[in-house]
Amino acid sequence: MIGNPRLQRLARVDTHQLDQRGRYWRRLSGWSGWGRVGMCLGFFAIAMIYVPIALLALMSISQSPLSGIPYPLTLQHYGTLLSDGRWLLPLQKSVIMGVVVAFTCMLVATLVGRAITRMKRPGGVLIVSLIPLFVPGLTMGAALFIFLRTMLDLKLGLWSIFVAHMVWALPFALLLVLVVASRFDLRLLEAASDLGANNWQRFWQIEFPILRPGIMGAGIFGFLLSFNELLRSIFVRGQETTMPIYNWAMAASQQSQVPIIFALATIILLVTLPVMSIFFWLLFRKAG
Amino acid sequence: MACWLLAERLADRLSRVRIIRDGSVGHRRAERRRSLITTTSERSSRATPDLKLGEKTKLNAPPILEIVHATHRYGDTVALDDVSVAARQGEFLTILGESGSGKTTLLRMISGLERPSEVQALRLNGEDVVDLPAYERNCTTVFQSYALFPHLTVGKNVEYGLRVRGVPAGEREERARAALGMVRLEDTFERRIHQLSGGQRQRVALARAIVTRPAMLLLDEPLGALDEKLRQDMQVELMEIHKRLSMTFVYITHSQEEALTMSDRIILMRRGKIAQEGTPQELFDQPASRFTAAFMGVENLMEGKLVALQGDRARVEVAGQVIVGRWPGGVINPGEDVVAGVRAERLHLGPPPAQAEANWLPCSLQGSIYKGKYLDQTATTPVGEIKIRLWEQSAAQGEPGGIWWKQSDCMVMRP
Repeated sequence: MIGNPRLQRLARVDTHQLDQRGRYWRRLSGWSGWGRVGMCLGFFAIAMIYVPIALLALMSISQSPLSGIPYPLTLQHYGTLLSDGRWLLPLQKSVIMGVVVAFTCMLVATLVGRAITRMKRPGGVLIVSLIPLFVPGLTMGAALFIFLRTMLDLKLGLWSIFVAHMVWALPFALLLVLVVASRFDLRLLEAASDLGANNWQRFWQIEFPILRPGIMGAGIFGFLLSFNELLRSIFVRGQETTMPIYNWAMAASQQSQVPIIFALATIILLVTLPVMSIFFWLLFRKAG
Repeated sequence: MACWLLAERLADRLSRVRIIRDGSVGHRRAERRRSLITTTSERSSRATPDLKLGEKTKLNAPPILEIVHATHRYGDTVALDDVSVAARQGEFLTILGESGSGKTTLLRMISGLERPSEVQALRLNGEDVVDLPAYERNCTTVFQSYALFPHLTVGKNVEYGLRVRGVPAGEREERARAALGMVRLEDTFERRIHQLSGGQRQRVALARAIVTRPAMLLLDEPLGALDEKLRQDMQVELMEIHKRLSMTFVYITHSQEEALTMSDRIILMRRGKIAQEGTPQELFDQPASRFTAAFMGVENLMEGKLVALQGDRARVEVAGQVIVGRWPGGVINPGEDVVAGVRAERLHLGPPPAQAEANWLPCSLQGSIYKGKYLDQTATTPVGEIKIRLWEQSAAQGEPGGIWWKQSDCMVMRP
């Protein structure tokens, strides 16, 4: 017999009481149907996301989309859209803006992320750079407008949209880079130097490949956040029109334009989804 | 027809290449076998180290590493305090010390990862490298954490040093495979780092460090994370590689056993300073201070005062008893504090022996710890508790009355 037998008896009484108390919860958690419940809820959530999108695509080829009845089918809205052409310039601007914001995010997030992981006390810098995440879009847009237009008296345009998009997208990009950078072992860089790599080589050959998933993620999110940005752009657009602003204006103004919006949204979806899928595939194929 | 001829010639060339390669592989194996043999004979010749020492002094090679009066501080803490170190070409130099003794700082200073706060000279191969960044110094490190690149395969890891030097891909692979062969990991070339065991990673780190044939290899507790058996195997393997490459090794460890097994010379560090430096034999048999003795595993250390010095024999008074032991040399006056030390395995149980050259103390036996091969016995004597290592278990039976040891086995040192 090991130990004090009295203590063992005490322990047994204790576990018995625990048994009594926990029986109800254990029977509940031991129920075999939970897996199925979880699956059903999951299917419901996924349906809530994809059914409206599929319906949108279906309605874009319907005669009268706002009626909610898909038939009769027609490609007429696409025809109108193609003959219109006013949406092409906003789309072009949005794509270019998205790409520029994406690359700037990648660059700045990498620089700042690397710096933060090398700091002795990164807390303050981290909080300051992440706070824009919690500022409501309208507030930020209005604030930027007042600051740039009324106080500094600058002429607003694409550059101010770019600034607003960066304020919005950079914290996300930074978070994505930080996830990878905080796990990066700085001793690897010492090892690379020791083996003869100069600072540039050790960045490109060792650090960058390891940080790449985070940096690419920063780019993807930078693009998506910029491409969909409306709240801040409205304030600082000046005379410029981006795709979300155009869509919003069209949807808000005339009834007759709505079917075209359906078609336009579908085209954008058909272009962006495959592009993003290919991007993700390229990014993560090695990991698998 | 022409096509067929071409194919035949190609096949011929390929087979010739294969023959050459096989030949070289076979040659390499034979070489390894030969070096294994020499290593074992070398090991047996270590029993007579004086002869080896003589050889060493005859060599008189210029120092490949010279650090003159180096000091390093991290903020207010002094990590290295005015340390000077030199290493000869081909030497296996071990820097021994507890954690925080400054040994890793010393290594980082040599590799260039740390710049000393003050240094008079830091020469590699006769060239002053104080201002040279790590990547321009001709020495590589095997890190304690291995620091293998997780996104590269084993082969690419080993190749890395050659890649940054712009060696063409073909030669790179050949040399990387040869280096992996040296650590017996030829068939892991395509594998990824996370698929390897700890021992294999350690060897890859070693292969990566030696592939560029640096003038000096720095090893930062490379065997620290391995289990006992693997560590002993790797010790032998490291010695073999050291011999084959005739490269200078600077080896850092906190294990006196590792240091004694592998080194030509040991530098024992304490709180950023060199406590003692010498051959394994010297540190083991002639510790200059109580610290060295304790670090080198001398179990019984008795504090006392020097009574008299006659030649190399010192008479020490410890708690009213007189103990005679060896004095390693150096000026000391009677009345000064000294420490007499004796290893547990050099003590014998029994009455005072007939021979005069022995110390004897009355004792009574206390508890003992069974260690398998031997028995660690504690005894109470007038000078305090003494540890005795008994190789025959039966010796601990009954009351022996006392313990004795030869004067030549008793080391007298400064406190």
